[in-house]
Amino acid sequence: MTTPPNVPIEPHAVDPHVFDDPAAAAASGQILDSAEEVHVGLTLDAVRPPSHEEILRVENLTVEFPTEDGVVHAVRGVSYGLREREVLGIVGESGSGKSVSSLAVMGLLPKSARIKGRILFRGDDMLKMSPRKQRGLRGRKIAMIFQDPMTALNPVHTIGDQLAEAVLAHELMPRKTALARAREMLDLVGIPQAEARLRSYPHEFSGGMRQRAMIAMAVINNPDIIIADEPTTALDVTVQAQILEKLLEVKDAVNAAIVLITHDLGVIAGMAHRVLVMYAGRPVELGDTDPVFEEPRMPYTAGLLGSIPSLEGGGSRLRPIKGTPPSLINLPTGCPFSPRCPLATDICRTEEPQLAETDSGGHFAACHHWDKLAAAEDPTVFFRTESETVA
Amino acid sequence: MIVFIVRRLVISFFVLLAATFIIYVLTALAGDPLEDLRQDNSPNKAQKIADRSERMQLDLPIPLRYLNWLGNLARGSLGVNRDGQDVATLLADALSATLQLVLAATVLAITIGIVVGITSALRQYSGFDYTVTFAAFVCFSLPLFWVAVMLKQYMAIEFNNWLKDPVIPPTVIGMLALLGGLIFGALTVGERKRRLFAFGIGFLISGALFTLLSVTRWFADPALGLPLILAFGLAAAVGFTALAAGLQYRGPLYATLAAAVIGALSSQVLSPILTNPTWLEIGGLVLLTVAVCVGLGYAFGGLQRRQAITATVLTGLFTGGMVFLDRMLQSFASYSASVRGRPISTIGARTPNYSGDFWQTSLDSAGHLLLPSMALILISLATYTRYSRASMLEVMNQDYVRTARAKGLPERTVVVKHAFRNGLIPITTLMAFDFAGVIGGAVVTETVFGWRGMGFLFTKGLYEVDPGPVMAFFLVTGTAIVVCNMIADILYAYLDPRIRLS
Amino acid sequence: MTLSAQAPESNTGAAQGMTIVARTQAQMVRRRFFRHRAALAGMIIFGLVLLLSFSSIGFLGVSGWWDKSYLATGALVNQGKPTLSVVPEFLGGSGIRLGEHPFGQDDIGVDYFAKTMRGAQQSIIVAFLVAVVATSVGTLVGAVAGYYRGKTESVLMRFTDVMITIPVLVIAAVVGRRFGDSGVLLLGTFIGLVIWPSMARLLRGEFLSLREKEFVEAARAVGTSASRIIFRHILPNTVGVIIVAATLSVANAVLLESALSFLGLGVQAPDTSLGQLINEYRTAMVTRPWLFWWPGIFIIAIALSINFIGDGLRDAFDPRQTRVRA
Repeated sequence: MTTPPNVPIEPHAVDPHVFDDPAAAAASGQILDSAEEVHVGLTLDAVRPPSHEEILRVENLTVEFPTEDGVVHAVRGVSYGLREREVLGIVGESGSGKSVSSLAVMGLLPKSARIKGRILFRGDDMLKMSPRKQRGLRGRKIAMIFQDPMTALNPVHTIGDQLAEAVLAHELMPRKTALARAREMLDLVGIPQAEARLRSYPHEFSGGMRQRAMIAMAVINNPDIIIADEPTTALDVTVQAQILEKLLEVKDAVNAAIVLITHDLGVIAGMAHRVLVMYAGRPVELGDTDPVFEEPRMPYTAGLLGSIPSLEGGGSRLRPIKGTPPSLINLPTGCPFSPRCPLATDICRTEEPQLAETDSGGHFAACHHWDKLAAAEDPTVFFRTESETVA
Repeated sequence: MIVFIVRRLVISFFVLLAATFIIYVLTALAGDPLEDLRQDNSPNKAQKIADRSERMQLDLPIPLRYLNWLGNLARGSLGVNRDGQDVATLLADALSATLQLVLAATVLAITIGIVVGITSALRQYSGFDYTVTFAAFVCFSLPLFWVAVMLKQYMAIEFNNWLKDPVIPPTVIGMLALLGGLIFGALTVGERKRRLFAFGIGFLISGALFTLLSVTRWFADPALGLPLILAFGLAAAVGFTALAAGLQYRGPLYATLAAAVIGALSSQVLSPILTNPTWLEIGGLVLLTVAVCVGLGYAFGGLQRRQAITATVLTGLFTGGMVFLDRMLQSFASYSASVRGRPISTIGARTPNYSGDFWQTSLDSAGHLLLPSMALILISLATYTRYSRASMLEVMNQDYVRTARAKGLPERTVVVKHAFRNGLIPITTLMAFDFAGVIGGAVVTETVFGWRGMGFLFTKGLYEVDPGPVMAFFLVTGTAIVVCNMIADILYAYLDPRIRLS
Repeated sequence: MTLSAQAPESNTGAAQGMTIVARTQAQMVRRRFFRHRAALAGMIIFGLVLLLSFSSIGFLGVSGWWDKSYLATGALVNQGKPTLSVVPEFLGGSGIRLGEHPFGQDDIGVDYFAKTMRGAQQSIIVAFLVAVVATSVGTLVGAVAGYYRGKTESVLMRFTDVMITIPVLVIAAVVGRRFGDSGVLLLGTFIGLVIWPSMARLLRGEFLSLREKEFVEAARAVGTSASRIIFRHILPNTVGVIIVAATLSVANAVLLESALSFLGLGVQAPDTSLGQLINEYRTAMVTRPWLFWWPGIFIIAIALSINFIGDGLRDAFDPRQTRVRA
């Protein structure tokens, strides 16, 4: 399960840094111990660990859309870094800006979008690059997997054609060679009879197969970064785990980092090294996955955790967050979460908190009252429903 | 596929049969076929009425008359009209004129409409887009016959008068230059400065062009000449290469440039054939052009062989078209003289008793076709423009277009290969509907321009409450619509692999 | 990302001064329509044409403010040239005034303004009748065919296939030849009765997709009768499509009527319509151009303004275009 049968022999398929990091090497020693906890067969710990080198750095990114009703502040100051081979999860509700920020990285936002900040790929600011240079990175160094494989593939061209095209866009070579590469990739993502499937049209594929084809398309040029925008949301529950597992396997084969965008906390827990929580266009919590999930320092994260149904803790009940996310056109003053926050005080309604380091290193949160959460034994306790309190 | 066609043909046959019944009955009920004779004062009035009643079987009930007509049809006869003329003969005369008109209008409307619609969509919210949208609405709202009368007055009568001394007045040159500038400016997107710059360029180019045309009295004896053919050919070569293969690699560009040069030069070499060719020879030349271009594309294309062949064939055909146009223009002066200086015609499908060489007769047809097809394409043009714009806008917002961009494909490939191909699918269904509209339009246009075509056959038959010619008209147009529908369906299935014909 | 129409479940949002406002469908449609400038202009122009044509020469025996009749002949004044003037005196014109015959006179001295107004009235009446009849019949047939499917559908749709094989102008001309001289009411009704099939096709498509929706299934599950489902549950959901198509069909009907009258197969003299006027004076283009221009301008004004209204309605009922992706 660890090494796929048909990994192409590519220059950077062999990673010189694998054993540089003793901590990571140690971590990979205990793969099987934690494997049972997550729903993915292949776990994060089984793949090669991230290096220290940062390949993508997003600094103070803001995105605005002028619309008829006013300016939509879709992303308001997002910063994060992505290391080689790292999996960074970005969580948030729809409208939290998680997709928009990654489309900005891809350079795929509509022309009307106003983008500010810096997006550094290996030190080069992509926002300042010529369109041609930007296009050269797109699909070759940074690839993307979209949410709905039903609509993301062109219905009138064959799978093989669409895969080969991705290669030919960046390198002039005979079509046959490109098709051979496409076949190799279909093998890699586990599509049977790859040779014949090259001539199929997307509608002849099932949903899961199409998403596999999308993954194949994303990795066909050995990218450094794969942005996966809710890759399993549109799929059958039974297929979701397979696709996530395949994603990890393929990432390992081509040595890429992943930005995994999702609203499913369960997916993040099993898949991501670090997690970035977004709310109303802003990052509200950032840190290694385990600390963030076990000791959230932002009430919104705590609320999200409280609203997940759990099979184990039979006694605990669902504790939904009341209210709805704010309008991105007319944001409330202060913390955007304050209208829904059980911990909110006057300062929350006047002053928007900045992302700042909390009690543990590398764990950041944007909350005036993170210490109250730190003090509580069960962070979700603040979201108790009234009936619960009475009982 | 064959099963599909056969099944469709069988269904269409019954649909047509039912439609003929409806039309027959309605026509027969439309009025009194003896009306003119009842007011006749000649001594043999009674005899005439009896003759016509006998010929039209007015003593039989209408359904029986229909069955008789159907029986005749089954025996291959279209019957006679109320004056005893053979309908088949009338039809044969009418058919070619209308077919020319309808085909020319449809082909032009589809080509221009799709190109303008797509440009408009790709330049959404630009001045060009707004202008096209507004113009399309105006076209939808123009009464066809009104436009036709206007065209007759201004594009034919006044234009012919002007041709006697083709000097463009300075004010008109100024306006044309302004128009040229506006088109350039409207097509440009970006900052005001860039748009102003484009406007200036367009203004200068069109101003200079029309001044030159005026000073040299080009319209009196128009021709392109080798240098212009070459220039247009080379420009087309670059354009088609950029569209089909991109200018990044040289191979395809060399192929198309070679095609343009060879095409232009061959106009001199082939001079003996081109002096007075036949349509058969022209067809042969077209095939030859395609063959040579495929060869060129194959030889130079390198790794982009497919794209190179497409671009080269298009360039070759375009250059060939230029050569054809040049030849035709060369005959313009002599043709114009032979029709007493009135080359743009307002009446009929050809000058009666005209004889000339190939180029002159072609010009004669073109001069007669020009105005009616201009009138006729207006509405279809607006329809195709609106539809392809909407379809393209819809497609450009699809996820798979975003995927194509995410792959790092150049915008050209995204538009041509991913968006355009999908955008065409809904347009095929429009073709079938539009064709019926064009036929209706042809009836009106023929009336204004005095064409003795199918439309004339129909309206005259209807006035005279004479089902014979009306049915002949409907048989032809109804069949054409049915065939058109079927072609649209086949095209649809070809463009969209999700559809299976069965 | 959905930005609008998401009403807060509790009043938390409103209490915090947030601006999520729930709007009804009708309010949203109205708001979007009034933001469509071309549609608004179209509505104003059409309103003016309507007001002018019906109030000037009167209607149904009620007399209007214009004192001349569209039938009475008179002496030709200044070869029947229009007396309307819009260039003020200080610009070298003859001042802003209507004069005796603002649109001029025809060859037998009939006031052309009155005649054009009468023509506009008749054209509008025919067009509305055609649109109303065609929309009603088309909606009914399309709804029944789309809802019941099976045999009913195939019979109805075969019939519309038959009708669609016949170009609209052809079938309308055949009907016009028969009913042209029996008054605009009969003419309009009968043309409406033959051109409904395209409307039926449109509606059938709508019904085919809506009948699979959950709310229809829910209605069926509680035993709602078919006619109630059709008229109370599905039809209100197609109201946007119907209104847009009906509006655009008025514009088409104006052009169709004028084309028929131009061919001599529509409204017959001595009654008149805009198309009939153009037909009557098409040879006067050079000698007395006003006889040709005025009715033409009115046809274009009516058709263009209704087309713009239709476009505005379509945009208003189809909110897809204002959506912002995130």
